[in-house]
Amino acid sequence: MTDFPTSIWPALLVAVPITFALGTVFFAAAGRMWSGLAGSVATTLVSALAIAAAVREGGLIHHLGGWEPPLGILLRLDPLAAVFIGMTALTGIAVSFYAASYLRSQDDLPRGASLFWPLWLMLWAGLNGMFLSNDLFNLFVAIEVVGISAVGLAVLSGKPPALMAGLRYLLVAITGSMSYLFGVALLFGAYGTLDLTLLSAAVEPGATTVFALVLMTLGLMAKSAFFPLHFWLPPAHGSELPPVSALLSALVVKGSFYILLRLWAEVFGVSLTFAAGQLIGVCGAAAVIWGSWQALNQDRLKLIIAHSSVAQLGYLLMVFPLLILAPGTAVAVASDWTSSAWTAAVYQTLSHAFAKSSLFLAAGVIVIAAGHDCRESLLDLVARRPMTAFAIGLAGISLTGLPPSGGFFAKWMLLKAAIASGQWWWAPAVLAGSFLTAGYVFMILRLAFAPGNSDTENRPVPRGLESAALLLAVASFFIIVPAEAVISFLESSAPFGSAIVPGEGGVLP
Amino acid sequence: MSVWIDILLATLSVALAVRCLTAPTLAQCVFLFFAFGLTLALAWARLGAVDVAIAEAAIGAGFLGVLLIDALRDFAPAKEATVEDAEGYAAGGSAAEGSAAGVPLRAGRAALPLLPLAIAAVVFVLLTAEAVLNVRDGGGLTELAQENLARSGVDHPVTAVLLNYRSYDTWLEVGVVLIALLAIFAVGNGGTFARRDHVTHDPVLEPVSRILAPVLFLIGGFLLFLGKYEPGGAFQAAVLWGAMGILLYLAGWPVMTCLPRVWWQVLLTAGFGVFMLLGLAFMSGGGAWFEYPLAHAGNLILLIETLAALSIAAALTAIFAFFHEMHAPDATETPEK
Repeated sequence: MTDFPTSIWPALLVAVPITFALGTVFFAAAGRMWSGLAGSVATTLVSALAIAAAVREGGLIHHLGGWEPPLGILLRLDPLAAVFIGMTALTGIAVSFYAASYLRSQDDLPRGASLFWPLWLMLWAGLNGMFLSNDLFNLFVAIEVVGISAVGLAVLSGKPPALMAGLRYLLVAITGSMSYLFGVALLFGAYGTLDLTLLSAAVEPGATTVFALVLMTLGLMAKSAFFPLHFWLPPAHGSELPPVSALLSALVVKGSFYILLRLWAEVFGVSLTFAAGQLIGVCGAAAVIWGSWQALNQDRLKLIIAHSSVAQLGYLLMVFPLLILAPGTAVAVASDWTSSAWTAAVYQTLSHAFAKSSLFLAAGVIVIAAGHDCRESLLDLVARRPMTAFAIGLAGISLTGLPPSGGFFAKWMLLKAAIASGQWWWAPAVLAGSFLTAGYVFMILRLAFAPGNSDTENRPVPRGLESAALLLAVASFFIIVPAEAVISFLESSAPFGSAIVPGEGGVLP
Repeated sequence: MSVWIDILLATLSVALAVRCLTAPTLAQCVFLFFAFGLTLALAWARLGAVDVAIAEAAIGAGFLGVLLIDALRDFAPAKEATVEDAEGYAAGGSAAEGSAAGVPLRAGRAALPLLPLAIAAVVFVLLTAEAVLNVRDGGGLTELAQENLARSGVDHPVTAVLLNYRSYDTWLEVGVVLIALLAIFAVGNGGTFARRDHVTHDPVLEPVSRILAPVLFLIGGFLLFLGKYEPGGAFQAAVLWGAMGILLYLAGWPVMTCLPRVWWQVLLTAGFGVFMLLGLAFMSGGGAWFEYPLAHAGNLILLIETLAALSIAAALTAIFAFFHEMHAPDATETPEK
């Protein structure tokens, strides 16, 4: 981990969006949009250059304040962090252009809507900070930055349902952070370090570690809306402004998943058991079935998409049982499926981020065109809004997991890992989830092809909105093309590919 | 003897928390919360963390208490507000309607399954006790922090941790205050600054503010400077300066209008912005982000702390004025965008 060269790129990934966020505060609405867009472009450029440097060097680190851990904080841009930062940048730039066009064209928004720009750039910096951090307490601070900006964004529409959902989200977010922080305090008290690398070497089995593991896992699960702590997500993501729903559903919930994945694979291995993996996997399987079923029963497009997030996040939880080795399994044998399981985790994260943000952006287009998002708003969509209908189709196929989309690759790898590891019981859940997803995706598409009433409203929509939705849908489809390069980059560094051996921790085969 | 003080404090804080949660009227809730905050501050002081004690007393009890008392006015101004009013209000109905319709007392509470909750609470406390009592002494980083004190530019280890070793965390926390302010503006439907001050000077508060405001300012500055050597520092100073701002605002001084809008923006962002830019400036000179040259570290830290304290104080005052303005019954003039 520390053998990566030192570089300023990790620092810039946090500093650049925040510089622009502070800049936007000084402008009125129009200036905020331009400075916010400039910030989005700059952050995307920095992300691209930083990832290029990370690919060249294998990874980068930055010692903040010049202090080495355990006294100081280490930022490390390893391949896993680089992929997540790339996902944030690609989703972020598309949503930024959509938001600029959306906020300018809508005249019934509250005056505070231009606060989108400082809050979103802060959120972006917080997410980058989360992916880069190698320090338990700094992760908490990043969680706070992300959580508070997300709540601010969630209430931007100013409507009572959004305010109530936002308040509930705030309470869940704070409870989750407190639970996480309690775990951090226990670990720091017991092991005297906050640095993940040093901690993973020092951590020992025992009541303290187990309790910290449970607290931190529950806190992060609540923030990620993992079943059964998902109750806050559908009302919140169903009532926000479309670009905000896209960002929160695609990126924010992935931040806490990323931390959970790192903690389980790098720190808590000694206290994990095979049964713990099975338990969290059952939560995931239940989320897939329950969320998809709920989505199938919704009448409003945005609520269908929001419930679908609960289901798609469930696939991420099903990765954990596959990473934890059953007693008596040799690590060398496990390499057959751990690599597939890690690939499934990364590709499910990426494909869901792009597909879900595309769907929320498309739903925003439909709301502008038809004035609402009930089932009737979808009638004859193919003729009225071909580009949006195409985006929904592509993103839906990726969510369902039909070839050759990114979602297909993720679900295929998950099935492959489940079969290879002998844990075949996850396979029916994966397949059932796909069938149910196909159910609501084809329901949307059937309506889109159905002839509409002549009195269905079709108000003009700025062209850029539709393009942004389509771009992300295409991205969710074609991330499969560079898959080989992405995986070989990821495999160059732990924790990707490592198996969790109960009692020992993460071990690379 | 001291064990008894600790036991008393522990019992008192739990008892106050329970009373606060079960109090029948909102006013009682608020004052019990106030007392709870002060007890916690005493507990921190007993644990030897004077810094945290000051911050807890000032923010947890002081600032939050003021905000809560201000919020109390929203619930049934003419009569005693009950918890049910607040619950009715939160559910979308108006406070007056809820109580006029004769909502049975504790209708919302009775639905809670008390027994499972109590069992869950007991299990949680037992598990926590088991985990906490089993924490072996990891040694912490106290020695390491002391060893490097000479290279940090300050003489107090807590300040060294906050503004040198882990200044990145502190910087982001200053940012969280700013983000919270923006989020509050977002909740308030987009008005940004309360640009309308009280028209009438408050006859009681005005003379009080003439005496108290300079005192608060001086004590704040003293705490800020003290942080270099003793417990104290930016956050504590910020709360005192924020209290000064709120007092002046309530007394009727033109706090929110005496500066042009752009200066308020500068004031609110200076702490966070300069903190970052100074760090970046030294990074461009070949160091790491937030790495200060040793010769200037002490002065730089004092500068950063001063600006951070000013920004946080400005944010606290703006938050208070914003809420006060939003809920003022005679708010005819909408806040400027």
